Amino acid sequence: MPWAPRAARCTGSSDMPVPAILTRSLTKQYTGLTALNSFDLEVSRGAIFGLLGPNGAGKTTLIRILTTLMRQSTGEAFIDGLDIRTEGRRIRGMIGVVSQENSLDRYLTARENLVLHARLHGMDRKTYNRRIDELLELMGLSARQKDFPDTFSGGMQRRLVVARALLHQPQLLFLDEPTTGLDPQSRRAVWDYIRSLAGSMTIFLTTHYLEEAEQLCDRIAIMDHGRLIALGSTRELKERLSGATVYEIELERDVEQYATLLRSMQCVSDIEVLSSRLQVTLECWECLSEIVTALNGAPVRSITLKERTLEDVFISLTGAGVRE
Amino acid sequence: MIMRGSLAIWMRDMQVLRRAIFSELVAVVAYPLTIYLAFGIGMQSYIGAVEGSPYSLFIAPGLITMTAVNAAYNESVWSLWFHRRVQFTVESYRVTPISVSEIIIAKICTGFTHGIIKGCAVGLVIFAITPFRFPMEHLFNYLVFLIPGSALFSCAGVISGTVMDKPETIGKVEAVLVMPLIFMSGLFFPLSSYPADVLPWVRAIPTTALFEGARRALVSGDMSTLHVLQVSVSAVVLFAAAVGIFRRKMAE
Repeated sequence: MPWAPRAARCTGSSDMPVPAILTRSLTKQYTGLTALNSFDLEVSRGAIFGLLGPNGAGKTTLIRILTTLMRQSTGEAFIDGLDIRTEGRRIRGMIGVVSQENSLDRYLTARENLVLHARLHGMDRKTYNRRIDELLELMGLSARQKDFPDTFSGGMQRRLVVARALLHQPQLLFLDEPTTGLDPQSRRAVWDYIRSLAGSMTIFLTTHYLEEAEQLCDRIAIMDHGRLIALGSTRELKERLSGATVYEIELERDVEQYATLLRSMQCVSDIEVLSSRLQVTLECWECLSEIVTALNGAPVRSITLKERTLEDVFISLTGAGVRE
Repeated sequence: MIMRGSLAIWMRDMQVLRRAIFSELVAVVAYPLTIYLAFGIGMQSYIGAVEGSPYSLFIAPGLITMTAVNAAYNESVWSLWFHRRVQFTVESYRVTPISVSEIIIAKICTGFTHGIIKGCAVGLVIFAITPFRFPMEHLFNYLVFLIPGSALFSCAGVISGTVMDKPETIGKVEAVLVMPLIFMSGLFFPLSSYPADVLPWVRAIPTTALFEGARRALVSGDMSTLHVLQVSVSAVVLFAAAVGIFRRKMAE
């Protein structure tokens, strides 16, 4: 049954809460390339949602379609129940977008950049002046509001772009790699601000920094080759990686000899030699006792359970090869 | 169509122009004024009268028109290219609740305003420091040409700025297409210089109608309805084309 967008919600014929973002079989094809392939996604309101994927996975195409900058080839997408094909203007009125490029106007001062954006949103002067004062203060840019963005550091420019995206108090904020190119301090400042917005609006974030997704997002989607390949919380994704458990065994000597021994065991699915350590992947944690028995008398210094990171999940799903 | 977006972007462009008005005008006045002094004054005694007018009087209206249309073209083409390809501001406009048409209409209006302001500035300077004079009542007739003429070139600039992604291509088109169209439309010589069998083709070009019509309007007060229509219809057609091409480009 096709998802009933706005009308159902307005008439109250459905008790289902309208998701902030919903896509159904969303596909975008260029000549000889499928950037999005039957992509299904649902993002609930108020969530901080992270989208991960290697270069060329289709993240930017998805954001461009959802922000109405681009038309899909087939499939459907709804923002707050509004069809992106027919309700572009209304959708753009309720979303804020922080694109990969700063796209600030270098011939306007920081404040003038915000004023222009407010006028494009049809805000009245009194309202936008008050809101601009608030945001400049919040972003620590009040003292520099009469300066041109060219004179700002990368972090300040990024904060100004975020302020611009928040000016009209959007219900849904798209952040396309918001901290790329920022130093750690500026990155932390942006993270703090995103966290402070949690709950007040839905945030859709794409990033290359897995730590960023782990720190900020309630739910994470991993996509590759235009397809959604995993979806869940960080914890769920780590759990779904497989039942396998990885231990690091540090030996005083004879590392290669013990590696050969363990490799011959059925419960060991993978083994990697790292200098004086062995990284042993077991099919399940119960296999550990067999390993300990096999290593009886071996010069073992330590056996450590290796925690899975989101990066492990990402690499296991998308591969370790470098993308063009 | 709600034109809020067009107004906001046009106001932004005027704010930027206001900041740099002095340097803009100095740059824009220098070129036609040099041509006027070199050809109009320097060559006058060698050339004598053209179609009954002193040579300096013959070329002055064309120089003013050239300044206006060049300014309109250049502002539109470079502004659109810069905002689209360098600053990405067009993209930041497109995620606000305005239409693509509003953006392009703003850019056409900006180019047109630049053309009118800079054309008038050159006219005033030529009027102030040279013996070129015209009856003030002819000014209205002249503006009837200058306004659609600036709009025409502004639309042409928008089309170039939309379809061309490389700045060197923009420069080439200007050198190969725009400047020849201006220079061959009777700016420095009477159209009667063309061979008889070529003349109808030259007259069919809207820039010829613009420069020829504008000169006659300013010098002798003649108002050629055919010329006005030729320029105005071309401007309307190019406007529709500019909006359509920009919309298609943005949809890619």
